[in-house]
Amino acid sequence: MTSPQELSAQEITILLVEDDPPTLWRLQNALVKAGFDVAAAATLGEACASLTARVPRVLLADLQLPDGHGVDLIREVRQRHPDTEIMVISSLGDEETVISAITAGATGYILKDAFPSDITATVHDLVAGHSPISASIARFIVRRTQTQAEPRGLEIDTARLTPREIDILWGIAKGFSYAEIATNLGMSRQTVPGHIKSIYRKLEVHTRGEAVFEAVQQGLIKL
Amino acid sequence: MTDGAVKPAAPAAPALRGRGTASRLVQYILLQVVIAVLCIVLLRLPLPQPPDQLEVGGFSLSDRGETRAVTLPDFVPSRHSMADPAIFTGHFAWSARENGHAWSVYLPRFTNGVVVLVNGVEVLDSRRDPAANRSDRATPEIGLIPASLLRDGDNELTIQLFVWGPVPGFLDKIYAGPDESLRPYYEWRTLLFITLPIMFSAWQGILAVILIVMWAMRRGEAAYGVLAVAMALGATQAFMPTAIDQPTFPEVSNTLLASAPLESACVLAFAILFFTRKWPRVLGPLIFLPGLTMVLIGLFADPYAIRQSFLVLGIPTLFAHLAILGIIVAWSEMRKQDVPSLLLGCAVTIVLTTLTHDMLQVARLIPDHRIFYTRISYSAMLVAIGVGLTWRFAQALNRVDGFAAHLVIQLREAEEKLKAVFAREQERERAAALARERARLMRDLHDGLGGQLVSIVALSERNTAGAGIGDAARAALKDLRLVIDSMDDIGGDLMLALASWRDRAAAQLRPHEITLDWHAVPPGLPVYPSLRPWHVIQIVRILDEAVTNAVKHASARRIGVSIETVKAADGEYGCITVTDDGKGFAAGDPSRPSSRGLRNMKNRAARCGAELELSSGPGGTTVRLQLPRRFPEGDAAAG
Repeated sequence: MTSPQELSAQEITILLVEDDPPTLWRLQNALVKAGFDVAAAATLGEACASLTARVPRVLLADLQLPDGHGVDLIREVRQRHPDTEIMVISSLGDEETVISAITAGATGYILKDAFPSDITATVHDLVAGHSPISASIARFIVRRTQTQAEPRGLEIDTARLTPREIDILWGIAKGFSYAEIATNLGMSRQTVPGHIKSIYRKLEVHTRGEAVFEAVQQGLIKL
Repeated sequence: MTDGAVKPAAPAAPALRGRGTASRLVQYILLQVVIAVLCIVLLRLPLPQPPDQLEVGGFSLSDRGETRAVTLPDFVPSRHSMADPAIFTGHFAWSARENGHAWSVYLPRFTNGVVVLVNGVEVLDSRRDPAANRSDRATPEIGLIPASLLRDGDNELTIQLFVWGPVPGFLDKIYAGPDESLRPYYEWRTLLFITLPIMFSAWQGILAVILIVMWAMRRGEAAYGVLAVAMALGATQAFMPTAIDQPTFPEVSNTLLASAPLESACVLAFAILFFTRKWPRVLGPLIFLPGLTMVLIGLFADPYAIRQSFLVLGIPTLFAHLAILGIIVAWSEMRKQDVPSLLLGCAVTIVLTTLTHDMLQVARLIPDHRIFYTRISYSAMLVAIGVGLTWRFAQALNRVDGFAAHLVIQLREAEEKLKAVFAREQERERAAALARERARLMRDLHDGLGGQLVSIVALSERNTAGAGIGDAARAALKDLRLVIDSMDDIGGDLMLALASWRDRAAAQLRPHEITLDWHAVPPGLPVYPSLRPWHVIQIVRILDEAVTNAVKHASARRIGVSIETVKAADGEYGCITVTDDGKGFAAGDPSRPSSRGLRNMKNRAARCGAELELSSGPGGTTVRLQLPRRFPEGDAAAG
């Protein structure tokens, strides 16, 4: 799972936001041992304070925080610091958590009980521009490209996904490896993770002003 | 009627159409010629006559002060006055030996009225018989001669012939003889020239009533209205008294008696509306002009004028109307080839032929027997109209039936579509409810149990003593994810569930540095509509058990999972195989997996209707799960 690393671990600053002390300790321990420069926060307030002091390269955020919702933090960071890579920390890796974080601007997720090696590998991948995706998340997005209206709290707009991106998602949902998908679609295996990041980016819900700007850019609205 | 003419012509190609129409026109005209020839043959057939020896001979005619010997049939000029009849006097012999037989005098045909005297005593006055007073009906008369009047030997027969124009008076041969010999001839003529016309007039009256009802129900169809007027006129005039009968309203009677041009105009108007569906606004009213002129003459001029105008205006109008009618009907027959056009076309030919024949007779261009057939031949037109209307009615009913059947089919299709939509909607609703429930459960588990299990994992990692607890918590988390995942609607595509399992298994194996070789042979597994979440859980737990065994007991470095569809004699079925490169196990090996775990795998497979094969040796272990072609509905082994 390792990918070409442009930055060494010491150069990567991380802000870790997690309210459960054992979990926070566990994740921080794994990241510090791997050499990352980690700042920790247990609440939304602490996270904001940390952000003013230093803008991290990577933000790892839980969604359930005692003084607010992690989605708000993710959206804020995404808008104000577009260079920061954002991952959501999820206990179950379920689509509700992951998709709501992605629509806010996250481009990856990490399981709270992941093994330390997996945690560090995922952070490195993310910094290299490769986003992780699970079969069930891919399945969820693909399903949304087929049936638009599903009575669930999650609203995602899949209209901007290209047929190729949908094919990649299908391959992942069916359990094919990146290599198999790449062979099938006649592309390089290395480009598949980049496509996934692009998919996440397209699912991101922008603020109203940005949406209008984008619509004008795409020629959807004529001024 | 030939069947071939009614059938629609086959060629539809434009190039052939012109030739088809031409050949059809030739066929049609030939048919009409044949009908006309048949009519002429029938018209020229002589009517049966009594034997010649019964004919009264030796007639002398005394007219306008002149007396001369004549041979019947004879004509006398038309006149205005009813007061000066032409008087024919003839003789016949009677023998007293015939006293037992009643004798009659029989007059087959005369115009316009007769008074018959035998030996100076009146035995018959036709002017009291309304039917006899109509010149368009060839009414015969028979008069029984009282035996007391007859003299042995020569008897004198005097006929006073009244003539009221416009055509000259006529008196056919006269017969005197035993009543039994003469009456059959009289009856035959009565049937032909009295009874039959009355029957047709009644038929015309019924047609009028039917058409009035039809028009009343369908006001938009003016065709039926004008035809109803025509039929009503025709039926009424047949029962109108003539001037001789001294009617209450002589002008009305006279007008109605001369209403044939108006009637023919109405029939023509009907044909125009019925066959062309367009009414010529300028030329259309012109066809009524002669008829209406004659109405005015009948109502306001003297009775002689109306009779005169019938001859000079009415008859040409009838000819003209019939000719136009013939053309319209022929055109319609060329275009549509339907039964009403053809029948009416033939009827027009019959009437036209007969009218021509009658008029040639009046003009004395052919031998004149004063037998007019036009009114009788008109019945052919009535029959054609009746049959045509019934045909149209039946066709409309058929069309309604067809339409109704079409509607029933459409309705059934719509109903089935609706049912399908409803079923789909229900299915969608069910899936949505399941998805909602799953989302709620997931949120609950995520916020509660999930977080707690993660905390346990984290806590256990702080000191090595908690390793067992950590593993257990991790296993619990994994199982929790499996349960939640299996609730997702995967539409019978087991591949989707296996892909999620692959993610979890790979994460589980990575710290042990064991490679998971995943090999799905396209097209993977078949889609199972019968697949339910609990089947998925059983299958995934079997795979989990196989992987766990490989890790814990076999010390494998590589685990392979291959997914494929296998073709067998009885069809296709899915197959999942888990292989490892571990040391395998033999019976009695202390490191072998618990027999309970193996039994569990077999049990789970059996509950899904799947077959589990397990083989192990020094080269590794292979677990082969052969899926059923159809997953069982209920949990068979659970009970």
